[in-house]
Amino acid sequence: HVPPRAERMTVDQDWTSVYPTAAAFKPASVPLPIRMGYPVKRGVPPPKEGNLELIKIPNFLHLTPPAIKKHCAALKDFCTEWPNALDSDEKCEQHFPIEIETVDYVSSGTSIRNPQARVVTLRVKLSNLNLDEHAKKKLIKLVGERYCKDTDMLTITTDRCPLRRQNYDYGIHLLTVLYHESWKTEMWESEKTEEDMEEYIWENSCSQKNALDTLLRIKASENVSNVTKEELLASEVVKNYRNSVIALKNEGETENNVSQYKESVKKLLNIQAL
Amino acid sequence: LMGARLAGSHADTQEPNTNPLVSISDEPETLYKRLSLLVKGHDKAVLDSYEYFAVLAAKELGISVEKVHKPPKTIERLTLLKSVHIYKKHRVQYEMRTHYICLELKYLTGSTAAVYLEYVQRNLPEGVAMEVKKTKIEKIPEHIQEPVWDTLPPVEEAEVKS
Repeated sequence: HVPPRAERMTVDQDWTSVYPTAAAFKPASVPLPIRMGYPVKRGVPPPKEGNLELIKIPNFLHLTPPAIKKHCAALKDFCTEWPNALDSDEKCEQHFPIEIETVDYVSSGTSIRNPQARVVTLRVKLSNLNLDEHAKKKLIKLVGERYCKDTDMLTITTDRCPLRRQNYDYGIHLLTVLYHESWKTEMWESEKTEEDMEEYIWENSCSQKNALDTLLRIKASENVSNVTKEELLASEVVKNYRNSVIALKNEGETENNVSQYKESVKKLLNIQAL
Repeated sequence: LMGARLAGSHADTQEPNTNPLVSISDEPETLYKRLSLLVKGHDKAVLDSYEYFAVLAAKELGISVEKVHKPPKTIERLTLLKSVHIYKKHRVQYEMRTHYICLELKYLTGSTAAVYLEYVQRNLPEGVAMEVKKTKIEKIPEHIQEPVWDTLPPVEEAEVKS
């Protein structure tokens, strides 16, 4: 009977021609003494001849390193180079501010389609869009949860169309609509109250009125010549008080903020004793 | 795989194209900031070999691999009745283990990504699934550079485009 081909193979043969494509494991063509399987009692795993375990498992005999190098050398002609000018994330961000994330799914089954493949996520940093103060605030209000304050990123995830290209177009359309709507000023926007403001503004607030009132009364009781409101506002103590109140309201109560507020109130009301 | 024809690829501009299969198109290349490949399978050894193959292929094609990490495996367990009828106290338990390998690649052009993904996906072993998350970067479209009513010629009743 003819000996198996594996015994006549030389050491320096071209392996890529033995296994050019993915194929099942053929024990007569692979010159390796492989054993696989659960060993019998006081024995060794079964040899490769007629071994079903070796045939079942996917093998990578067609993808040895020399084979991969040959394939890549042939494929290199079809690749293009990344532009050298964009070698860091910041430069990419500066020249190409919009990021679009899409997901592809590959699996084996009765169908190659995956319904999650149509989801498209658009991410933009608002600092890269051409917005002024009012437009930025209005956009943040319109968009709600999709804006992250810490990273200044607007994330739009579209899912409502059946195709990925349609979802991408819808995402761009949403961005355009948001942009234009935030630049428009409606008539009812002039009725914006203090509750609607995003951050605390000290001018024209109760805190300013109270502080000025108190100072005026102190000056009146000391019978100093009438000091005007503008002079009071421009004085150091009032400015200190204003800064500490703004810090407290906008940033929350930290040790630093509260102690600053204490100092400014002491200076304002001239009570250094505490 | 070897003779795959891909449009939109560039070759050396100094020498004439010696490869007749390469065609160059005029449209600008799409740029992918990051390509994240998540490979899922039931057998860890198969996934390890595949990771070696994918990393070597990326290096040969000149793609920078940011990192290769292995998220922990997930085990899905079921407890079913052992017998067809009655015998509630005797059950049998099955489990499905899914191992993951995540490859993060950085800074690919559209053609390079297409070539790499096609090569790597054609050689996916049986029983292994893959999810590819592509992050494309783009410039701001022209119609968002300025509001439309600034660019229109000055008309008395300017139509506000929404």
